[in-house]
Amino acid sequence: MIMRSGQQLLLPANPLFIWGSLLVALMFNILMSTLMGRAAWPPDVLALALVFWVIHQPLRVGVGTAFVFGLCMDVHQGALLGQHALAYTALSFFAITISRRLLWYSIPSQALQIFPLLFGAHVLQLLVRMLAGHSFPGWDFVLSPFIEAVLWPVVTLILLAPQMRAPDPDANRPL
Amino acid sequence: MPLGTLDRSPPPFFKQGQSALSKLLMFSALALFLMVADTRFKITGPIRVAVASALYPLQWLVMQPIEMVRGGEQYFISLGVAQQAEQDAKRRLALQSQRAAIVEQLTLENDRLRKLLALRESTTTPAQAAQVVYDAADPFTRRVLVDKGSAQGIKAGSPVLDESGVLGQVTRVYPLSSEVTLLIDRDHTIPVLNTRTGARSVVYGDPSVHGGTLELRFMAGNADVQQGDILTTSGVDGVYPPGMPVARVDKVERRADSAFAKIICQPLANTLGARHVMILEPFSVQIPLPAPIDTALSAIKKGAKK
Repeated sequence: MIMRSGQQLLLPANPLFIWGSLLVALMFNILMSTLMGRAAWPPDVLALALVFWVIHQPLRVGVGTAFVFGLCMDVHQGALLGQHALAYTALSFFAITISRRLLWYSIPSQALQIFPLLFGAHVLQLLVRMLAGHSFPGWDFVLSPFIEAVLWPVVTLILLAPQMRAPDPDANRPL
Repeated sequence: MPLGTLDRSPPPFFKQGQSALSKLLMFSALALFLMVADTRFKITGPIRVAVASALYPLQWLVMQPIEMVRGGEQYFISLGVAQQAEQDAKRRLALQSQRAAIVEQLTLENDRLRKLLALRESTTTPAQAAQVVYDAADPFTRRVLVDKGSAQGIKAGSPVLDESGVLGQVTRVYPLSSEVTLLIDRDHTIPVLNTRTGARSVVYGDPSVHGGTLELRFMAGNADVQQGDILTTSGVDGVYPPGMPVARVDKVERRADSAFAKIICQPLANTLGARHVMILEPFSVQIPLPAPIDTALSAIKKGAKK
């Protein structure tokens, strides 16, 4: 396999960590919605975590997982059933299609390329709800994908940390 | 297998499962089906209840620190604020006690008058107190979540009140919580009665972006509606018990280009920050069904023969 020079060889991902992080992201979304109420601007961290794992582990986390988590979000929000499911399904599909290319870029550049996907997912949800005849939530929903794209480096750092440990820890490299 | 990972197993070359595109098509179709089933056929209730039950432990876990912080804040409010609140409560109680004293007498009087006129006796409505847990996160609708569900006997369609008026209606019931659609949701309508004139009409939720108001539609341009009129439930819908305060008329625009007046009302209930609410039993459950049409018709025929 061809690798970029200077790139660190990563440890295999722990499946428990993958699922645990997705659950924590879901809980973070629940927390945000509890604190912020029906504001449209809070970032969708679950979407970001799903995109991260779909790009880094496309064999473990795929379109089906995204669909199931989307359904959970729909029920939690009391939204139209299938709204988040559809958005996450589309999001993860496009994430898979760019996954082979994306990891060759630096992290800020990755954030820039992820942004259209996240924006598209939000616009898709808006379109679906407008078609279903619900009221417009206000323009602050545009902020949400921006915040998510800014959070991409943070999410990458946190979720990749367990894989960046040394393969043979010793006294000098405890982690 | 991602780039540059020290994985111990080789990636599968042939056992790749379905392609991402076919999965996308399948799951998108499923999502679309769910949406149609949810909006048109209303058959997704069991799915919602199942997923909500699975999600409940997570929600409970997230709510714990928030509840603790909210509870902790109570300890840090100043003595002055607490005393002020107590004074307010006492003043309100004194005001109400005067009315309450009259109510006893009026109820008795009303009861006798109704018997005299052979009217059906008015019903009392069983109610349950509940607490608003949070605003539903869906930015497209106006809903709140309360902490009582089907396990506590809440039924879909029940009217919900707060201390100053009608707040909304229970629209979805989960085992341990239920969703209340607020009056100001654009899909919410409620039949009302103008207490000053006795005219019946219907109030609609406001469809504008951040509007927390109501609109009294289809009132003629010269209808007798004035600023400050109080609207109460009329009870004709069989859902809301009659006489509950709903809204106050805020603005009446009579326009020459339209046959109808544009009437904006302010809800009396605290739609943005209600904490404690009462959930009433739907009114229709308590009214006995009208006599079947056949017997009513035969009664008319008998009357005609005489």
